[in-house]
Amino acid sequence: MIEFHLDARSGVAPYMQLIHQVRQALRLGLLHEGDQLPKVKDVVAGLAINPNTVLKAYRELEYEGLVAARPGIGTFVTGTLDVVPQAAHQPLRRDLQRWLSKARRAGLDDESIEALFASTFRSASEEDIA
Amino acid sequence: MIWLTWRQFRAQAITAAAALAAFAILLAATGPHLASLYSTSKITSCHGLACQPAANAFFGQLAGLDTVVYLLGIGVILVAPAIIGIFWGAPLIARELETRTFNLAWTQGVTRAQWLAVKLALTGLAAMAVTEALSLIYSWWADPISKAIGVSNSGPQLFSQGQFSSVIFASHGITPLGYAAFAFALGTAAGALIRRALPAMAITLAIFAAVQLAMPLLVRPHLVSPSHTTTSIYASDLVYGSLTADVVPGHPSAWILSSQALNAAGETVTTIPAACDNANPSGEKGGTSAITPAQCMQSRGYREAISYVPTSRYWSLQWVETGIFLALALALAYFSVWRLGRRRI
Amino acid sequence: MSAVIEADRLGKRYRRQWALSDCTLSIPAGHVVGLVGPNGAGKTTLLNLAVGLLAPDAGTIEVLGGIPAAGRAELSRVGFLAQDSPAYAGLSVADHLELGAHLNRGWDAGLARGRVERLDLDPRQKAGTLSGGQRAQLALTLAIAKRPELLILDEPVASLDPLARREFLQDLMEAAAEQELSVVLSSHLIADLERVCDYLIVLVGSRVRVAGPVEELLATHHRLSGPRRDPATLPDGLEVISASHTDVQTTLLARTSGPVLDPAWTVSQVGLEDLVLAYMSQGAGRRRRDNHHLEVQK
Repeated sequence: MIEFHLDARSGVAPYMQLIHQVRQALRLGLLHEGDQLPKVKDVVAGLAINPNTVLKAYRELEYEGLVAARPGIGTFVTGTLDVVPQAAHQPLRRDLQRWLSKARRAGLDDESIEALFASTFRSASEEDIA
Repeated sequence: MIWLTWRQFRAQAITAAAALAAFAILLAATGPHLASLYSTSKITSCHGLACQPAANAFFGQLAGLDTVVYLLGIGVILVAPAIIGIFWGAPLIARELETRTFNLAWTQGVTRAQWLAVKLALTGLAAMAVTEALSLIYSWWADPISKAIGVSNSGPQLFSQGQFSSVIFASHGITPLGYAAFAFALGTAAGALIRRALPAMAITLAIFAAVQLAMPLLVRPHLVSPSHTTTSIYASDLVYGSLTADVVPGHPSAWILSSQALNAAGETVTTIPAACDNANPSGEKGGTSAITPAQCMQSRGYREAISYVPTSRYWSLQWVETGIFLALALALAYFSVWRLGRRRI
Repeated sequence: MSAVIEADRLGKRYRRQWALSDCTLSIPAGHVVGLVGPNGAGKTTLLNLAVGLLAPDAGTIEVLGGIPAAGRAELSRVGFLAQDSPAYAGLSVADHLELGAHLNRGWDAGLARGRVERLDLDPRQKAGTLSGGQRAQLALTLAIAKRPELLILDEPVASLDPLARREFLQDLMEAAAEQELSVVLSSHLIADLERVCDYLIVLVGSRVRVAGPVEELLATHHRLSGPRRDPATLPDGLEVISASHTDVQTTLLARTSGPVLDPAWTVSQVGLEDLVLAYMSQGAGRRRRDNHHLEVQK
């Protein structure tokens, strides 16, 4: 069974952090179809967070088709996430390198590049989930 | 709630039980000796004037320990209600408020009124039971002495207090039960009002002491309607220079409420008339000291009017007084419940 | 969802002063509600009114549809933990459980014993010798084991060390999840409540300043900064909670009813702590001093 952790200072809403960790676990093969997610009461007992936060995360995952709740028993993994094969990484890596040189030519230093990437990534992720 | 009342009362209950046991043991140790003294004395078979010397002989035989226990017992019974009022009554509500445990007690599954009602009822009953037990044990022990006092008119000072005297009346019969209930309810009400245990204890003691002093002096004489009699002036009426009787003819051990000498016209007199006063002979013809002042006044139509409570009314008086204190206790208990219910913390 | 606590113009007076005034709330069930405010704001008064330890001087309050502490039924549905977790110093841990068992009809003895074992409390130890954290956990056990529908806690973690605080909140959340409790807890530190609350009430100067779900509050309050503005020229639809001005810049913390379209404003998110602080400073009547811009060295 996976264990959740929370980064209170990350600026990411707690329920989203939980969702990300489930998706991460699916990608890394820590969770398989049929596995049970930790019970709500155990999650809140470990993290000292609001039960509604966990319920919201599990509901979102259910809406995405990744898990299903069985009343009285628990929440179980039903779907899978496509693990991106290595072959798809190469063209993405090349695109990224090209973007990086463009950014340096425009005059951005390392810090600015990281900041630009982080904020764009964050707002893009939020749009994804919403 | 019964369990909680007992659990919080446990220490005090054990102390009371230990005290009661110690008292009982002391009395059990000396009681038989006292009883045998009495049964071998001549009091049991005496009649009329012969009883006085029999009683005096009995008193003379009492050991120092007997006298100590006699006085100690009265003291213990008089003081017990005050102690109960201070240590059981005053802290009942006040401690709960001071230590803030009311936050726990009043948010479980019983209302405040239920909480207090059970505590008052059970602890109050315990208070009454302990005090009355002390009184009953003591009455059993002191019975020989009481009887001896009953037949004696002029015994030693220590044993001259009859059943109607202030301290004896308050320590025998059922009045201790009433005092205990009253003192306990008084303490609880003080605690509810003042909300701190120590000041409540002080106030309870002060008020209870005041009431116990006022009762025999101001209230008790009016609790039962007295009997009246007019009788001749005896020599004993003139003892000490006052014209009051200290015994009612035909009613030994009665409680004399008032006694005054009346002249032939029915007016009150407070001094021996000059014509009868041996110390001031006024030269009345034939007035030699062959007749006593009492006989002289008698011949001039002087009478003694006595207002008294006979021994047959003893238990009526006991019940009325106890009833009053029980009623006061109930009123104070009701006040405590009401005060707590106003929810001001 | 029905309301667990309904207050209508609730007020409470101590002699001349109103400890709580004109308090109108409708707290929905199924939430962990945080009641935040400075000391003396009226939090304890409000909670005492909710559990029936106090009676209102003005207005009304209904808890779970009934008058607080009116009878055994109302008392059994609400659990209470007072500030500093008072306990009977002379009674042992086991005695306290007995107390709970005898005074509560719906007492779950197994739950109580299980918790005491898990917490490693010695049943024979007198409550007077327990540490603050242990006493808080004992009080929580008593409140939970009576199986209430609503749990009310007055500054439960204020005097606890960080570890005890974390463990307490963990146990509280576990019970809330397991028993589907509604919880109301007060604190003067928003940091304690941020993790666990999803509904917030801010109480300052004996009045309710804001109340609502945390998500909604965070979505409708924003920080706006822009060039220095005359307060009269602020756009409509903005309720300014706090404002600070330098000679060139104005920063507002405002409640917005719709999106802010004026491009002169930079709009950013507000954290819960800043939101609460803004309401607290507004309520206390303190105005933030105008910050003086540092002289630019030419």
